[in-house]
Amino acid sequence: MAANRDFLVSRLFLKWGRVVLKVLLVWALVTSAGWAASPVPKVGGVLNAMHREDPPSLSIHEEATISTNWPMMPCYNNLVLFDPLRAQESPDTIIGELAEKWEWQDGGKSLVFTLRQGVRWHDGQPFSSKDVKYTFDLVREAPGVTVRLRVNPRKAWYSQVVRIDAPTPSTVIFRLKRPQPALLMLLASGYSPVYPAHVPAAELRARCVGTGPFKLKEYRPGELIEFVRNPDYFVKGRPYLDGIRFIIIKERGTRIAALQAGQLDVTMPQEGSKTASEQLKKAVPSLVVVVASHNINDNILVNFKRAPFTDPRVRRAVSLAIDRRGYIQAVRQGGALVGGSMQPRPWGPWGLSIDELAGLPGSGDPAKQKAEARQLLAEAGYGPGRPLRIVVSTRAIALYVDQATYVIDQLKQIGIEATLEQVETALWFPKLTRGEFELGANLTGLGADDPDANFYENYVCGSSRNYSQYCNAEVDRMIDVQSQTLDPVQRRRLVVEIQKRLELDAARPILGWSLDYYVMWPYVRNLVPHQSVYSYARFQEVWLDR
Amino acid sequence: MSADLRRFAQHNPLGAIGGVIMLLTLVAAVAANAVSTHDPTRTDAAHTFLPPGSSHWLGTDHLGRDIYSRIVHGARISLAVGITCSGLGGVVGGLLGLLTGYGGRRAELIMLPVLDVMQAFPLLVLALVMTAALGPSLVTVIVAISVPLIPRVARVVRAMTLSIRETSYVEAALAMGANSARIVLRHILPNTMAPLIVLATAQLGSAILVEAALSFLGLGVPEPYPSWGRMLSVSAAEFAVRAPWVVIFPGLAISLVVFASNLLGDGLRDFLDPRLRI
Amino acid sequence: MRAYLARRLGLAALTLVGMSVVVFVLLRVAPGNIVDLVFQSAGYVDLAQKQRLAHELLLDRPIAVQYLLWAGQILHGDLGPSYRYGRPAWEIVRPRIPVTIELAILALLVSLAVGLPTGIVSATRQNTGADYALRVFSLAGLSMPAFWLGMVIILVLVRVFGWIPSMLYVSAHTDLRAHLLLFLFPALAAGYRSAALISRMTRSSMLEVLREDYVRTAWAKGLHARTVVSRHALQNALLPIVTVIGTEFTFLIGGLVVTETVFNLPGVAKYLVEAILWRDYPVVQNLVMFIAIVVVVTNLAVDLLYARLDPRVRYG
Repeated sequence: MAANRDFLVSRLFLKWGRVVLKVLLVWALVTSAGWAASPVPKVGGVLNAMHREDPPSLSIHEEATISTNWPMMPCYNNLVLFDPLRAQESPDTIIGELAEKWEWQDGGKSLVFTLRQGVRWHDGQPFSSKDVKYTFDLVREAPGVTVRLRVNPRKAWYSQVVRIDAPTPSTVIFRLKRPQPALLMLLASGYSPVYPAHVPAAELRARCVGTGPFKLKEYRPGELIEFVRNPDYFVKGRPYLDGIRFIIIKERGTRIAALQAGQLDVTMPQEGSKTASEQLKKAVPSLVVVVASHNINDNILVNFKRAPFTDPRVRRAVSLAIDRRGYIQAVRQGGALVGGSMQPRPWGPWGLSIDELAGLPGSGDPAKQKAEARQLLAEAGYGPGRPLRIVVSTRAIALYVDQATYVIDQLKQIGIEATLEQVETALWFPKLTRGEFELGANLTGLGADDPDANFYENYVCGSSRNYSQYCNAEVDRMIDVQSQTLDPVQRRRLVVEIQKRLELDAARPILGWSLDYYVMWPYVRNLVPHQSVYSYARFQEVWLDR
Repeated sequence: MSADLRRFAQHNPLGAIGGVIMLLTLVAAVAANAVSTHDPTRTDAAHTFLPPGSSHWLGTDHLGRDIYSRIVHGARISLAVGITCSGLGGVVGGLLGLLTGYGGRRAELIMLPVLDVMQAFPLLVLALVMTAALGPSLVTVIVAISVPLIPRVARVVRAMTLSIRETSYVEAALAMGANSARIVLRHILPNTMAPLIVLATAQLGSAILVEAALSFLGLGVPEPYPSWGRMLSVSAAEFAVRAPWVVIFPGLAISLVVFASNLLGDGLRDFLDPRLRI
Repeated sequence: MRAYLARRLGLAALTLVGMSVVVFVLLRVAPGNIVDLVFQSAGYVDLAQKQRLAHELLLDRPIAVQYLLWAGQILHGDLGPSYRYGRPAWEIVRPRIPVTIELAILALLVSLAVGLPTGIVSATRQNTGADYALRVFSLAGLSMPAFWLGMVIILVLVRVFGWIPSMLYVSAHTDLRAHLLLFLFPALAAGYRSAALISRMTRSSMLEVLREDYVRTAWAKGLHARTVVSRHALQNALLPIVTVIGTEFTFLIGGLVVTETVFNLPGVAKYLVEAILWRDYPVVQNLVMFIAIVVVVTNLAVDLLYARLDPRVRYG
């Protein structure tokens, strides 16, 4: 009977063995397919990134330009950040960096962060909650804080914060006057790094002490900004890159040529024009082009306090006269979208849909709208016998000048004689702040795709960046209401209303939302352009496949 | 006068060609509206980057504007700047040169260091600082380019004045009791006209080139004046590969006009005094 | 001779002081200063902060006081801070100086290497096809905008070869070959114009001299053509050429501004434009003074060289 038993065992063994083998085979196939689909990141290599000019300073909190965010984000961390690997920024894509977890309490009036332990600054000092309190007390210019940032463009973001508590080294609590769900979005923006409490803010204009994946190695003004890996970074195994070099090339044509010749690996956000990307793709077909939105809009500043723009009919006429689609074709070569004051769909969740846009100035039949504009002007007392003469001011930069040129031509077609005034960079914002203009051709970038980041800065009565000096108490009230609304559906409805009102009032006629045609060499992996230029430059996940 | 012209054309064909081109450019500039086919500032979103063809002789740019018409109107600006600057430089420089050459020790002591200082600045650098100081406008650009030209003219005129002052003609006139003003007007001025004309024609080319460089750097004649230099500036570099005509024709226009003014200057120099070395 | 030298040096010093005053005043007359610029990137201007900043940077004192303070600083060897970068201005300017000097020298060499031979050939073969061709070539060089030439060169390089010179500066120690390649095309672009001028100058000067009696005597004596040209004609033709090189150098510096910008070389000239646009007063002043010193020294050297070459010229 032993032989029978042996026989049975061997039969069993064979049978199950075959099954096991099959399972093993399938498993091997699946995992190897998985490997082929998502290759294992290689460690090493230096990324050469394009930069168009010297950043005005290295301090992110003191600047409002991608020229500072792009090179300096690798050096810092936020409390929370938009997931670098997800293109659409929203409350669902917020991940923790220095904060491990967070929680709204107190009916939405307190935001409690639990911070990571064991994090160190680049100079070896330990990170704790006092750094967070210091940073945001500094930015919101808390009473009792004597140190000031030299320039503070985003103070308004934190206007609802009453107090910041740091009860333990790993707990931070933001206490608000009233609920503001947007606060988390603002903190996740690339504009909200945490600064070290033990380094004077003024020093951070010229050097960088952060907790981020890269340490600043060298800054040669006019030439390059160089970073090396932070070996003590709190995320083990990151970053993959040995270093990053931001190479500064001022000449546009030369920059494009450098990318084509392989001296640069990636473009700079906001520099990816459609024409350049087409040219590059034709020359080097293997280049990768990713289309993303800037979250920057081209707009017209109408000086509400200066005649004839005190007359709403004239304001309306100006907005009606400009054919938005024509603008996008001429000035942006088709690389932009029509929209209201929030980033349009599908790039942004708050934007107006096609139906919602219909009926707003600029979105209808251009000829009809121009006729309507002419009639409004006639009602206001201007016509062929008494033409309206105005000055359109703009910055002395090619893109701005093109924008103004197109606008002037459109206005000419409804009988307004406009001349162009080119203002040098140094004089532009002082001029705007003093209200010394009639119409201005302008670009506005938003640090986070949230109505609070937009409306409070640009449309609220008396805001320092509300250059048009638009002031509508009703709209201000609506802005406050939406800021406190916790239900997202209800909030969106309010925001749509506000956008319609702003376009009808010609508060700041939006000409278009430009698109970035981001070009990179195919061996650059995990650099995912977001629908906003300001928040994806951490470079923590990026690796080079070569 | 016409006999002189004929002689000039005969002996200096290249110079004559240069003169003809300059004349044609002048005519185009003056009659710009008649000569152009479209409104140079009219944008046309539907027809951007059209290659040269029957409707747009030299094609259209990134805003759909007709390049031929922009070049014709640009001739106005470039020539206006060029002629005004070299004219101003010539007149002011000539006067200063006469003064310094004839005025004696005291005039020299005051004027020479001033002229030296103005001349020590490279043309473009001084123009840059002045444009930055005065803000970009047509007037600023003209002033900024004329000022560096003045000392260069003054030097030459001074040298000529000095040498003429020593000649026997002037000695004789002085002996006959002529006063300074008469001497300057009668003897010195006519003899400095020839090198002055040659110099002015040469400076015309320089003025146009400097204006182009200023526009390239963003500090030149602002919109809406269509300036050749600005048509070549930063944004043009971006479109150069896709639509080369946007960059080629303005560059050719500048080169051609400057080339012609140099040819004319050479021809005039050979014609008026072949031994002149400027 | 000594007296002449002393007087020239004195005049040179006076010129430099004059230039410093002109630049100083011009910059401060210009509307907009660094304080305005600091705010521009933030997109707004806060008047109280602006005043505080202006006071910090000494910009609210009268111009004469500012100039005296600056002059005092310079005489102590302190070139002041860069408003833009917050570092000592000298620290920013110093690494750029060798780049511009190298480019200027290389451009000059190119212009001599191209200009002299073409001028001689043009002169000795006057009114032949070669002469006309060379004259057109040199005239074209004088007519072309320098930055256009640079742009075209880069476009052609990238289109045909898929390669452009390095955008990052490579020093000679690190990689000599890359370093030379880096300067090759900018030197060509910048030198073309000077080559044209030198060629024309050489041609007309040689023509002059070739007609002189002593040259005709040399021909008559049956001397070899090359001896005539090199020993007699060229030496005398050299004088006005040397003068032209002196004045041309000034223009060359201007040409370097656009060449450095197009080819992205980190030199003094390119940085000057940026500093002007940024109203970085200390840096602009330093750079312009540096250029002025170079120009004045070059002119002096040229005049002295002139004296050496021409025994007829005597300075007293």
